Amino acid sequence: MEESRELQAEGAAAEAAGTVKDLSKYVPEARRKPGELGIAVIMFLLGALGYYFALDMTSGEYSSPSVFPKLASTVIMACSAVNFFKAVRREKPESAATLTGYLLPMDVVVVVILLVTYCFVLPRFHFVASSYAFMVIGMVYLQRGKNIVRALLISALSLAVLVAVFRYLFLVILP
Amino acid sequence: MEQNLQYFLIPFLSWEMMMLIWVGVFAGIWVGAIPGLSVTMAASLLISFTFSWDLNSALALICGVFVGGVYGGSITAILLNIPGAPAAIATGIEGYPLAQRGEAGKAIGLCTTVSVFASFVGILVLSVAAPVIANFSLKFSPRDFFLLAVMGILLIGSIGGGDPIKGITAGAIGVLLSMVGMDPSTGELRYTFGNIYLMAGISFVTAMIGLFGVSEALTQFRNTGKKSPKQNLDRIIPSWATFLKYLPLSIRSSLLGVFIGALPGTGGDVAALLAYDQAKRTVRHPSRPFGTGAYEGIVAPETANKGAIGGAFIPMLTLGIPGDAVTAIIIGALYIHGLKPGPMLMIETPHLFWMIVSCLTIASVALMVLGLVSVKPFAKIIEIPKEIIMPVVIILSVIGTYAIQNSVVDIFYMIGFGIIGYFLRLYGYATGPMVLGLILGPMLDANYRRAMQGAENQLLPFLEGFITNPISLFLTLSIVFLIVSQSPFYRRWRGLE
Repeated sequence: MEESRELQAEGAAAEAAGTVKDLSKYVPEARRKPGELGIAVIMFLLGALGYYFALDMTSGEYSSPSVFPKLASTVIMACSAVNFFKAVRREKPESAATLTGYLLPMDVVVVVILLVTYCFVLPRFHFVASSYAFMVIGMVYLQRGKNIVRALLISALSLAVLVAVFRYLFLVILP
Repeated sequence: MEQNLQYFLIPFLSWEMMMLIWVGVFAGIWVGAIPGLSVTMAASLLISFTFSWDLNSALALICGVFVGGVYGGSITAILLNIPGAPAAIATGIEGYPLAQRGEAGKAIGLCTTVSVFASFVGILVLSVAAPVIANFSLKFSPRDFFLLAVMGILLIGSIGGGDPIKGITAGAIGVLLSMVGMDPSTGELRYTFGNIYLMAGISFVTAMIGLFGVSEALTQFRNTGKKSPKQNLDRIIPSWATFLKYLPLSIRSSLLGVFIGALPGTGGDVAALLAYDQAKRTVRHPSRPFGTGAYEGIVAPETANKGAIGGAFIPMLTLGIPGDAVTAIIIGALYIHGLKPGPMLMIETPHLFWMIVSCLTIASVALMVLGLVSVKPFAKIIEIPKEIIMPVVIILSVIGTYAIQNSVVDIFYMIGFGIIGYFLRLYGYATGPMVLGLILGPMLDANYRRAMQGAENQLLPFLEGFITNPISLFLTLSIVFLIVSQSPFYRRWRGLE
């Protein structure tokens, strides 16, 4: 009991420090997030498309292949409609918050671009060269251009360990 | 009896088998910790290079990898919120908040201790009650598997992490995505749009790596520069009092794990999620509220997925039916070595049964030692600045994804799921229910349709089966109870609110 009280107090402190979010009880946020209505609409459209394409599947019996696709699509549409109206009832997002600023901070944009580029160059330059470049560029960018030598060394070391362990010890085929 | 004991002691008296089990556990922990590198994959690789070995040595190594691999999946779930395997998804829900509080060492220590306990429970049930459980599990009809999947889907409320409607939306999207590909019973193509890559369907492991691994990395990049929490590594091994405190929950969840593991087609992932859910519903005074780092939320799924190891061997050794993917591979190994798995296996080769029991026992001891020794180095991983660790995590995700079927297309899927998961998280849609939908969708679809075909496509006979068959009736009542127990009225009555 004593231990439990101690943990509850620690929890409150961590909560206050913002390190851990209390998910034990759902408390709806007062304001909706930028783009929240848009995502509910996109999900509704996804459900509608799912249902539309399920119409092409064999149907007519209770055990037809289209039963679960239609059911899942209907649930998506119904829930998205509820999510949309719940979001509408909340206050508008703060005027300072922009959709792109909320969704895609610069660091995320750079990493996503790096990641997509990495995927495209992977078949051409293979695993070692592409991964080394990805890690070095990623680390140097995220550390704002500092510690370049450290990034070069850590990337080389990490890659050497990964290749040794996966390729030669576990016999995993690398891309 | 004396003969059985002699068989049981074979691995204990062979230094070679002993060493192979320890090496297997060690390798399993590390393979299991990498998202995408599964125990199944490791076991199938081992089959190829243990082909020429003596059967005893091959089995020793595979048993070690099995036990270590199931445990390893939880390490990254606790440290980085990236489960190494689907069976560790529930562990991450409570484990990651604990790591954020600086209690990763304590969490992994408890995880190791209860895992070893649960492995022993599974082994004990395997040794004393295997034939009884195996025969009972064979009585499960498609309707019962359908009900079991429905029970699993009801977990969305538990792992949704916030708004239940958003959890259901994500779960339904997961079910819809699981329908992509060739319908296994009719061969009809669903949502493939003429694309050959979609014909095989979407691998839920690829989706899991993207939705948990890449989306976690992208979310972390929103807060670059924020220092990682310092980990307290003073008290790693839980006290005897702590162990005893969680003992009733450990026993309950281990037995649930053994039973679910013994059902062909289900495994540690379903067992862990069901156990997490039952803990959330039944534990009155958790160490912290669930979702914020409740130790009970680590104990329940971890004991269930380890109990499922012993459970998976039950139908395999008594009936020749694999309990999960790894035991299916072990059956393959037995065939390669000239044995015929089936009901006669235990009669014709009793030494094999007791040797597997023995290998699993030694592997559990090795897990205790190697798991606890690894806690400190593992916990230090979280203190590495995210600007350095996250690019490495992404590369690990790429290796894991590519290893599934050696396809670069899967890497694109994985990144796509990562970006989708990142957007979903921003709007409060948890990624766990989507993965749950992807895992349970095919089980729901296939078993519902088989059960309906069994009822000749008539709704009334199909529904009658839910109350006339004792197993179906029990599962139906359990589902009703699960729904009722989520109501505020019930929770107030039980003092859970």
